[in-house]
Amino acid sequence: MAFVKAQKSKAYFKRFQVKYKRRREGKTDYRARIRLINQDKNKYNTPKYRFVVRFSNRDIVAQIVSASITGDMVMAAAYAHELPRYGLEVGLTNYAAAYCTGLLLARRVLKKLEMDEEYQGNLEATGEDYSVEPAESRRPFRALLDVGLIKTTTGNRVFGALKGALDGGLDIPHSDKRFAGFSKDSKQLDVDVHRKYIYGGHVSSYMTTLIEDEPEKYQSHFSLYVKKGLEPDNLEELYKKVHAAIRADPTAKKSEKQPPKEHKRYNLKKLTYEERKAKLIERLNALNAAAGADEDEDEDDE
Amino acid sequence: MPAGHGQRARTRDLFARPFRKKGPTHLSTYLRIYKIGEYVDVKVNGSIHKGMPHKFYHGRTGRVWNVTKRAIGVEVNKQVGNRIIKKRIHVRVEHVQPSRCHEEVLLRIKKNDQLKAEAKAQGKIISTKRKPEGPKPGFMVEGATLETVTPIPYDVVNDLKGGY
Repeated sequence: MAFVKAQKSKAYFKRFQVKYKRRREGKTDYRARIRLINQDKNKYNTPKYRFVVRFSNRDIVAQIVSASITGDMVMAAAYAHELPRYGLEVGLTNYAAAYCTGLLLARRVLKKLEMDEEYQGNLEATGEDYSVEPAESRRPFRALLDVGLIKTTTGNRVFGALKGALDGGLDIPHSDKRFAGFSKDSKQLDVDVHRKYIYGGHVSSYMTTLIEDEPEKYQSHFSLYVKKGLEPDNLEELYKKVHAAIRADPTAKKSEKQPPKEHKRYNLKKLTYEERKAKLIERLNALNAAAGADEDEDEDDE
Repeated sequence: MPAGHGQRARTRDLFARPFRKKGPTHLSTYLRIYKIGEYVDVKVNGSIHKGMPHKFYHGRTGRVWNVTKRAIGVEVNKQVGNRIIKKRIHVRVEHVQPSRCHEEVLLRIKKNDQLKAEAKAQGKIISTKRKPEGPKPGFMVEGATLETVTPIPYDVVNDLKGGY
């Protein structure tokens, strides 16, 4: 089959059906999205909120989103790059940071809805499975976890963010099967292991191992930790402080940047008829000048 | 083998998805809300196998009489023998589109309410009834020149020249 002419003819392109844009970009799983967004028709305009968690290489995005025909509406968002405001400067994409981001989002949403007094959530992060109890006046804020396209293996950071939101006081249907520390053999969540992960214990133990065995690698890998003066033993109380700071003031800070007066142009501006003609004349002149100067002086294409 | 008269008989083309529109359905189908009394068109989406109406109802328009978790109850007219029966079917939302047949009426109602309110404020009496287009008004014909056309006598000699 090596010598068959691999050609995509005009007919091929005429019949080609493109996938949805976000599917082409590989960003949205429409099968999952349909199931997450679909609201019972007899609930009419009641919004169905999704707890969206996405990881980039250096940031975590946690949002509460509801869908509408004009586009998804984000009710509240929390980013890992906001955590320096609460005292966490390094390790912004680990399990512990994910927990902090989820917690920040939950407290932010509840504060926005003025439910933060009623639903304090789990004040002490013990790592055991905690679900919000409905209070007397209002039912808890319900959202559905939207993981996106990641593989939901046990111990994924997405579930760290989930745990943060749960402890923050949101009602998200879940099971403890995928939290860090769930063992497949005993089919139980090891609460201490999960607690270790929430407080960055896995990072601390790696740091201590490196300090003993490979100090140079420790210096290069954890250089920022060293610069901030973070020892393996300090991490737990650092995270405890961050949690307390988050609970104290979860409101989002408005950025001081002004929106630019005119939008940046992402595509070339279309030339007018005169501009295009002028360009053509220029090109022809340049061509003729290059070919031979003497006789083509006034051979402009009028 | 005999023809077969199953529920989806003869629907190969009717229920087929349009050219280059196969695959997942777009999300606005699921985000629309339907209230009781609204008019909807029934149009089968062949890729969703659940909650399909019978092929008779494809292309019919009816009113919503019931709303359940994933489906809409639609009341459609069907001629059975010498009478028209109002049939109540349940259809999943993927096979239903909001109908624009009633849109003009609703707009007119809004506009008339507004006109009536304005007239009431001014104390005038107006009629908001629609009037059919009447005959065109009379007009004088402009810039017409007269050209008199008379028949010319039949000339045997000249006409035969081209013929035989």
